[in-house]
Amino acid sequence: MIGADVSHEVRNVLSVIGEYAGLLDDLVGLADKGRPLDHAKLRNLSTNIAKQVRRGTETMERFSRFAHAADEPLASFDLVALVENMVALVQRRAALAGCRVQAEFSPPAIPVRGDPFALQHLVFSAIQAMLESLEKEEPIRVKVARRGPEAVLCVSGPAAGGEPSGRISEQLSAAVDKCRASLETSLADGVLSLVFTIPIQ
Amino acid sequence: MANERVLLVDDEPEFTEALSQRMESRGVEVDTAANGREALERVKGKSYDAVILDLFMPEMDGMETLRQLLATSPGLQVILLTAHATLETGVEAIKLGAADFLEKPAEIQQLMERIRQAKAGKMLLVEKQAEEKIKGILQTKWW
Repeated sequence: MIGADVSHEVRNVLSVIGEYAGLLDDLVGLADKGRPLDHAKLRNLSTNIAKQVRRGTETMERFSRFAHAADEPLASFDLVALVENMVALVQRRAALAGCRVQAEFSPPAIPVRGDPFALQHLVFSAIQAMLESLEKEEPIRVKVARRGPEAVLCVSGPAAGGEPSGRISEQLSAAVDKCRASLETSLADGVLSLVFTIPIQ
Repeated sequence: MANERVLLVDDEPEFTEALSQRMESRGVEVDTAANGREALERVKGKSYDAVILDLFMPEMDGMETLRQLLATSPGLQVILLTAHATLETGVEAIKLGAADFLEKPAEIQQLMERIRQAKAGKMLLVEKQAEEKIKGILQTKWW
């Protein structure tokens, strides 16, 4: 799913660059007919193309980080950076679902020794489960923090009509087991929270 | 002949801005909408020769927008223009009543040709409807 999302995003970037290239072509065509080149327009176009190239590069860098997580089943990595990368990669998917995902954490890093790909899958599955279950337009909040010898990942959002958390727990059980994590769900004041406890070592 | 009037529906503002400029420099009148709901509002208030519609958009996707556009404005000429074209979505769109299905990035000449075809298709439909109306009047008056 992430691969398809990234491919869509990159194709969108290329489409925008394609239209800018077309605009440049139109300007050159007009210059060929004797109209002076509009330097301000040219500068604006080059700025916009550079912006799209940055957007595409960032997406590909994030996707590369995501894909390389599968290189080793056991690795040392920063959980904060991993979760931040996943939150960025799901934004387009969330936007299409009429929602956004808000990362509410910052460094320091949480060094973890484990299976990074399995953890990425867990983060994605949790966000996807929330996207399918929650009231739209309200953001899904993702928090990660260290708690003693463990890390705690919390994904929460406003539940639609008391979303059955049992169904979500069942849906996520394989991903949770793969990370040797545990999951607690809670529904309070209309907010559904998925709290994962993840071993650091 | 009057200029073609087009509604461009896409959630990428940079894309709509650039493509609008290119179409406008070719004499097309362009309005834009960022999503399906906006598009439905626009077609209520204005007649377009063609609607150019993206497939993946927030709030209401392109297929649902297509369904609702054609339900409210039968005969509307809708051209799907998407970066995510598949044979299945193309077939589904045509079955739903889309006039055409193009993949981004489309050549501007190709897009302009499809817009002209859409306008001709719309004119044909209007003529047919007028003919049917006249036939009906003639029959009821026993002429």
